[in-house]
Amino acid sequence: MLLTVTDTARIAHGIWQLTLTGTFPYDTVQPGQFLMIRIGAGLEHVLRRPVSIAAVTEDSLAIVFRVVGKGTQWLSERKAGDGLDVLGPLGTGFPLPPAKARVLIVGGGIGAPPLYFLAERVQPLSDRLDVALGFQTQADSFWVDRFAVLGNLKLATDDGSLGLKGTVIDAVESLAADGLKWDYVYACGPIPMLKVVKQCFASQEVQGYVSLEERMACGVGACYGCVCQTGGGSGTRRVCADGPVFDWNGVVL
Amino acid sequence: MSVPDLSVEIAGLHLRNPVMPASGCFGFGREYARFYPLNQLGAVVTKAVTLEPRLGNPTPRVAEAGGGMLNAIGLANPGVRHVAAVELPWLAKQGVPVIVNAAGQTKDEYVEVVRIISASGLANAVELNVSCPNVKAGGISFGVSPQVLEDLVCSVRKVCSLPLFVKLSPNVTDIRQIALAAQAGGADGLTLINTLIGMQIDIRRRRPVLANKTGGLSGPAVKPVAVRMVYEVTQVVGIPVIGMGGIYSGEDAVEFIMAGASAVMVGTANFTDPFACPRIIAEIAQFMQEHGIGSLAEIRGCIA
Repeated sequence: MLLTVTDTARIAHGIWQLTLTGTFPYDTVQPGQFLMIRIGAGLEHVLRRPVSIAAVTEDSLAIVFRVVGKGTQWLSERKAGDGLDVLGPLGTGFPLPPAKARVLIVGGGIGAPPLYFLAERVQPLSDRLDVALGFQTQADSFWVDRFAVLGNLKLATDDGSLGLKGTVIDAVESLAADGLKWDYVYACGPIPMLKVVKQCFASQEVQGYVSLEERMACGVGACYGCVCQTGGGSGTRRVCADGPVFDWNGVVL
Repeated sequence: MSVPDLSVEIAGLHLRNPVMPASGCFGFGREYARFYPLNQLGAVVTKAVTLEPRLGNPTPRVAEAGGGMLNAIGLANPGVRHVAAVELPWLAKQGVPVIVNAAGQTKDEYVEVVRIISASGLANAVELNVSCPNVKAGGISFGVSPQVLEDLVCSVRKVCSLPLFVKLSPNVTDIRQIALAAQAGGADGLTLINTLIGMQIDIRRRRPVLANKTGGLSGPAVKPVAVRMVYEVTQVVGIPVIGMGGIYSGEDAVEFIMAGASAVMVGTANFTDPFACPRIIAEIAQFMQEHGIGSLAEIRGCIA
């Protein structure tokens, strides 16, 4: 489907936000779902780029992405009024927690955007919402104020320019040191980070979900390009269709 | 003028149009049935099926390469018994001919996979993927030696009561010799080209982009190679050829047909545009209408 860019902004070092509008099933989008975005008009870029949905209103959606190559560079050069060929919403998103659950959301860098949409949905349901976000430096951080409105926010940066000096794991440990306990933990970020987040809760009764990132071709489950290994390592799941969100006990991180 | 006739008869199969997805780009059809009814296609071609389930290669398995893509999926599939029990019964109900792509690491494996597909009664044709490494011959692909290929096709032929297509690898010295060997072994038709082996390096990380290091190149970048090979092969064989390699439009498809192909397969384009196949079918019809072409037979191999 063809959406129209209504707003673009560079919101942090190498991080861009686009707001899109047009005919789209906004009301059906689950937090954690993504778009496959066509890059360029010609045939130089044959693969769409997967980009998570960061926020949704009744007639628009926002995406936040990092420029990592030619495709995302092209995307960052879009201007208000430009059309964008998108496929979505795709994938299986985050299951929402039951009412009254105590929820922790953990985001590392460019893993944060889908968690914002999740936090918006979780906030009215939960008894307690804590958010731990980690960025390299303050210059790399974004949407901090938006997250702060939704829950108790703990930040960490590698250089201490914003929040704690350390990683997002230090932010999680700092929250835990305050005696906080959670029923549901949701995380998105680099695999090593997800692994440690899961380990942090290994001895606790916590329902954990992670959103994975992988290079994709079709984005709809047909090509088996983006797979992860299932819990016992005996099988694979498709990140694009079975995920990108998985119960963290169901996949090898 | 009247509506052009897009139908083709190929190796005993009647196709309502000459466009089908290429193996590996369409799963077992379920994902694309969300986008359009599969009976709009000339046929559905499944992902490669092996005797036992295969998990495939480590990731990254796919990467974009200027005007194309590299893939090293590693024949991930649930195994022929699961496919025959779960996927083919569903596909058989979609009102479209089903071509099952069969792969193996030994001749015996190919024979057993094809025997099961043929005996299932749920497929309309078999496409033999001969680009797999032959584990008993040091990992050299079955499709690069005329003698090995002829022997393989001959063995598979004996257990296959369905039309048998052999999908040729372009990674050979002279594809005509390979094509003739497949024909001599008893193939009813040929499909070509499979992907060209390529490699891409992430120069900042100083390592290959794909976990498998090398992968198959497909997409618009390979189209001129594919057209040339379809042309060369159709000059020397007497069996029909299905052409593929970077087809993105009806005009691309017409180019392959003029080179000598009887039908075409569309691969990478499905990823760029999930509606690629139905769009290409409409564009072929439009081209035929605009140029006063009543049937594909009028232009097949017309440059020769």
